[in-house]
Amino acid sequence: MSQAARPAPRSLAEALRARDDSSLSALLRSRPDLITPVPTDLTQLATRAGTRASVLRALERLDRFALQTAEALAVAPEPASYATLLGLMAGDAADESVTAALPRAVATLREQALVWGDDERLRLVRTARELLAPAPQHPSPTGLGPSVQEATSGMSPGRIQEIVTTAGLPSTHDAVSAVTALTALFGHRKKMAKLLAGAPDAALDVLHRLVWGPPYGQVTADPAAHLRWLLDRGLLLPTAPGTVVLPREVALHLREGRAHRTPEPLPPAVEPAAAHSPQVVDATAAGQAYTALATVEELLKDWDEGGPGVLRAGGLSVRDLKRTAVALDVSEPVAAFWVELAYAAGLIASDGEADERYAATPGYDEWLERPAAERWTRLAEAWLAGTRTPGLVGGRDAKDRTLSALGPGLDRSAAAEVRHRVLTLLAGLPTGTAPDTGSVLDRLGWERPLRGPRQEDGEEDLRSRLARWTLSEAELLGITGRGALSAQGRALLGAPAPPPAPVAENPAGPGAKLPVHHHAPGPAPAPLSPAEQAAATAAAARVLAPLLPEPLDHVLLQADLTAVAPGPLQRPLADTLDVLADVESKGGATVYRFTPASVRRALDAGRTASDLHAFLTEHSRTPVPQPLTYLIDDVARKHGHLRVGAASAYVRCDDDALLNEILADKRAAGLRLRRLAPTVLAAQSDPAALLEGLRAMGFAPAAESAEGDVLIARAHAHRTPPRTAPEPVPDGPPPPDATLLTAAIRAIRAGDLAATAPRKPAGSEPGTGSRAPLAGGELPRTSSAETLATMQAAVLTGESLWIGYVNAEGSASQRVIAPVRVEGGFVTAYDHTADEVRTYPLHRITGVAELAED
Amino acid sequence: MSCLIVQSDKTLLLEVDHERADDCRRAIAPFAELERAPEHIHTYRVTPLGLWNARAAGHDAEQVVDALVQYSRYPVPHALLVDIAETMDRYGRLTLSKHPTHGLVLTSTDRPVLEEVLRSKRIVPLVGARIDPDTVAVHPSERGQIKQVLLKLGWPAEDLAGYVDGEAHPIELLEDGWALRPYQKQAVENFWHGGSGVVVLPCGAGKTLVGAGSMAQAKSTTLILVTNTVSARQWKHELVKRTSLTEDEIGEYSGTRKEIRPVTIATYQVLTTRRKGVYPHLELFDSRDWGLIVYDEVHLLPAPVFKFTADLQARRRLGLTATLVREDGRESDVFSLIGPKRFDAPWKEIEAQGYIAPADCVEVRVNLTDSERLAYATAETEEKYRFCATTDTKRKVTEAIVRRFAGQQILVIGQYIDQLDELGEHLNAPVIKGETSNAQREKLFDAFREGEISVLVVSKVANFSIDLPEATVAVQVSGTFGSRQEEAQRLGRVLRPKADGHQAHFYSVVARDTIDQDFAAHRQRFLAEQGYAYRIVDADEILAGG
Repeated sequence: MSQAARPAPRSLAEALRARDDSSLSALLRSRPDLITPVPTDLTQLATRAGTRASVLRALERLDRFALQTAEALAVAPEPASYATLLGLMAGDAADESVTAALPRAVATLREQALVWGDDERLRLVRTARELLAPAPQHPSPTGLGPSVQEATSGMSPGRIQEIVTTAGLPSTHDAVSAVTALTALFGHRKKMAKLLAGAPDAALDVLHRLVWGPPYGQVTADPAAHLRWLLDRGLLLPTAPGTVVLPREVALHLREGRAHRTPEPLPPAVEPAAAHSPQVVDATAAGQAYTALATVEELLKDWDEGGPGVLRAGGLSVRDLKRTAVALDVSEPVAAFWVELAYAAGLIASDGEADERYAATPGYDEWLERPAAERWTRLAEAWLAGTRTPGLVGGRDAKDRTLSALGPGLDRSAAAEVRHRVLTLLAGLPTGTAPDTGSVLDRLGWERPLRGPRQEDGEEDLRSRLARWTLSEAELLGITGRGALSAQGRALLGAPAPPPAPVAENPAGPGAKLPVHHHAPGPAPAPLSPAEQAAATAAAARVLAPLLPEPLDHVLLQADLTAVAPGPLQRPLADTLDVLADVESKGGATVYRFTPASVRRALDAGRTASDLHAFLTEHSRTPVPQPLTYLIDDVARKHGHLRVGAASAYVRCDDDALLNEILADKRAAGLRLRRLAPTVLAAQSDPAALLEGLRAMGFAPAAESAEGDVLIARAHAHRTPPRTAPEPVPDGPPPPDATLLTAAIRAIRAGDLAATAPRKPAGSEPGTGSRAPLAGGELPRTSSAETLATMQAAVLTGESLWIGYVNAEGSASQRVIAPVRVEGGFVTAYDHTADEVRTYPLHRITGVAELAED
Repeated sequence: MSCLIVQSDKTLLLEVDHERADDCRRAIAPFAELERAPEHIHTYRVTPLGLWNARAAGHDAEQVVDALVQYSRYPVPHALLVDIAETMDRYGRLTLSKHPTHGLVLTSTDRPVLEEVLRSKRIVPLVGARIDPDTVAVHPSERGQIKQVLLKLGWPAEDLAGYVDGEAHPIELLEDGWALRPYQKQAVENFWHGGSGVVVLPCGAGKTLVGAGSMAQAKSTTLILVTNTVSARQWKHELVKRTSLTEDEIGEYSGTRKEIRPVTIATYQVLTTRRKGVYPHLELFDSRDWGLIVYDEVHLLPAPVFKFTADLQARRRLGLTATLVREDGRESDVFSLIGPKRFDAPWKEIEAQGYIAPADCVEVRVNLTDSERLAYATAETEEKYRFCATTDTKRKVTEAIVRRFAGQQILVIGQYIDQLDELGEHLNAPVIKGETSNAQREKLFDAFREGEISVLVVSKVANFSIDLPEATVAVQVSGTFGSRQEEAQRLGRVLRPKADGHQAHFYSVVARDTIDQDFAAHRQRFLAEQGYAYRIVDADEILAGG
């Protein structure tokens, strides 16, 4: 290293200082948390890069091999040379693929400032070392235990010398050199092999059990012979009474130098599950894209006249989601997906009124005006970039609250990244190839091993679930078709042209395993810039547009009163038909059924029978069937026959002329009268105002009841419903009767007795004088043991006692009682004060005193 | 542009005028049920039963998916294809077969499925000992029961246990001067190949001959179950005429006669007669070693007969019907107990081949008079239909129609005896109703057949299986509420081919703006879906024209 132009860096800050700008910017790009806020200097940057939170975040973003490399560094001596690291990773057998992949992994770790120093002195950032090194609290993923030096740190020098001697080494002067010698022996392959050759079989079994971890084992105070053999030679070292550990050096020897059982230098390949022709994939995806548009429109139409209410905690109630699912004819999770999609695309939102409801946004109307392909890209883009995860709907959050669609708690920051990554992986397959889901999940697990630990309850980790949802949602949205990425999906991602498809030569379909690129992964493609994304979106729209079905301008009418639209309809036609007929079946085509109710609905919407006939004739490819014509005429004949309106009062008079006169009178204008029939006027003002108005005009109207009787205008006596007279509220309580008085006096006297009864001094031993005699009214206080003893004594002697008692409300009283029984923390006694037998909890008794004998 | 559209609710829309429509129809017919066949677009439905029917007929999921993908105009949703493959895969995982030592056994190719069904409470009493991990013994008497239950559990069993031959009896078709029509031959062939099952043919398309053809195939003793005595006599008449069977070989087992012969025709009614909680006539099933059992009008099969049928799974069973629609929704019992559908042809197709007469269906709307409307509005709910169905105005219209077609053979069909009696009086025509004796009925039918009387008024007793070859006009004045199959049966009365080939007329007289009209719409739906378009005319036109 001395020949290097620059001296070797002594700290991370120095190492960073030595890096050029591009390498620094690579660091900051991969760890953006380091520049929020921008550090003042490189020392601060280095400090920040060493903080626990930042290191943890960086480790979480490592792929499995880089992580394994960091783990190996954590168990290597500090600093470690590249050769040492390679030995740990590749093992004695020098695995070629590991050897090939290691430089990249070390470069990644260096770039991320997790490792610094030159190849002779690689150092893992201290925080990372602490996080990854084995410790009893968190065993290392390598399954290695502490080194000999760490494990012997608390051992007596004498014992160490014994071990050294038994292991066949010359004894040394001090413990430090003894440990060094032992470490050297364990690190020496040949000598170790010789040492182990003499081991009993049972001892070797024990070593093999511990070798891949966990390295800890239990021993009894008097270990068996084979264990003793191991302990004597330091092949197992005690860590705590009854516990032994396999030292790291021994384990490494047994593992042939490898820190990991299975180093995974190469990402698992994404396996193809089926291959379809690209045309089929694109067409299926386009069909699904069309369905997606239709479904979102249907959803919004369903909510057009006031959507469901917003829950107080935010979101859609379970019942509303169910109803929506039924309306869309899909399952609830799928309904949640569509609702969330429309929300993510800004097509629906809460209206913010006092009685909050969901409704379409103005953006929806704009969206509707766009061409179909653009409408789709808007949805797809929103989905791709969004972090809301509809898959969670129906689950529960950490506080065990149900997660509702459109509600809070659905954002998962990893969602967008996982979606993008999964689709990019799909893009890496030949066109028309659908991936095997398991292999996609494995690949994601490799790329972010720390983000996806298998959870203990058997539930999948979030990233795997996100990936599964991504695959199913992409299919729903038409980004994939039959599981394979479609051309429009590829364009949307801005992904490069697909690798050449061997599909044509190999149409074997499912099971035909295609050779898949096994090269090391390049850096994950950076997210597209806004401009690039816009270009990609436009490209996707261009690809999709010709694949979408052309809207039709005609339907087929049939005599069974149905109309079949053999494809999507132009919007005005579809809108009219939606009113005029009920939709019976949806899909590629739409089947409408005409019923009297649906025809009535069209008439209510302001169309006339002749309009409808003309409309049907114009848009039907087939002659309009006679029953349909008849149906429309028959419904129209009755439509509007009955008229309904609201009026506040009416005027009726057998004399038409008089009513004419009233109507003609200008003063009647304020009453807003309208003639319903020759002898009836309806008014918008209330009966009293109408009477007054007519009187003012000089008429003499009479009021009429609901039954048509003339109401007599005599003042009506007004009555309440039956009521009882109020109870008198006297000034004080009523005078007591004799019984009550007697009882009261007795109680007073007894209380008095209790307060004033001459009693023995509280201390049981006379002469202690520890306590002043109790003043009147003061509660006796004794310890609970004393209270209990006195009580029990009183039960035997049948004496009365004076006690202080605090009731449940906390008010204190004094009572004189004759205890009968003491058990279970209660004393049952005859209470002289109350003149009855009562039970008192002992813990409520403040103290007890014997009554002085009179 | 292809001719098929796959809908998300698993219906298939077939454009019939398309040039590839015929090929497509053949491709999808094995697994999709024709649901509606109006003039331009036919609707087929893909149901689990249909898919399993296809499996039973030897088609696999790949063929089904191919047919859909090949003919579909728009891309078929992936989820639907997956669903179809999964559903079809459920059939045949379980098979019923004969084991040389253990008798009837249920075998599975998929152990978890067997475990799943054996855990069902309803299966437990039907099975015996576990023979090996994949096989379990089944009580031979529960062969039908277990098929029914397995179907309900969604794991239909394939019945490979075979049939007993039954007692042999020589039966030949006497094809002198006539021959089985191609579709009848096809139906017999499909049935015989499949072992058991249902043949769906329109009224008047010669279902009896399909029965006779099957008997000639079986050449064994046969039990024929029919709806009523008149129908039984007609079967007998037809069999004597068309086959080598003689009068003496055919027995009638009904309320009046209890004959058991090599070929026995029994009515559903006598079989389901119950005395003190037992069915005394059930022994009929065991009285002979029947080789074939024919169920006429399967859609009317009474519930107890299903129960007996469950015990007859070792015999060949042939169901004949005009429609699989059952008002009680027990289609799945027909599937599991009698068998899958073996043959079906749309009405219009057979009409196009000239085997049934084309018909002109007209609904005549009559207006109630003002006083009738008032009375109708105030009538009790349960009396409303009767009131509007028997309104006086209908009588005038009926008379007008009868006058218009004077000289042709006319049937007037109704539900309410009072109304029919009154009509009979005004039209000067005999009335056949429940109380008319069988002898009298046959006499009147013969007279009608001979043309001695040209107008006959019948109640619903004549709904089924009466054979009136020369009726060219039917006037329906009232019906059993909204029964779709009754409407189909009644139309069937006039669909038999006419000697002179002229058009048949079917008039349904309906009171406007009443529930009569609603029921009529419901009744007509089946026929409209079969392609019989109803014209609607106002009564005034008929009265003016008459």
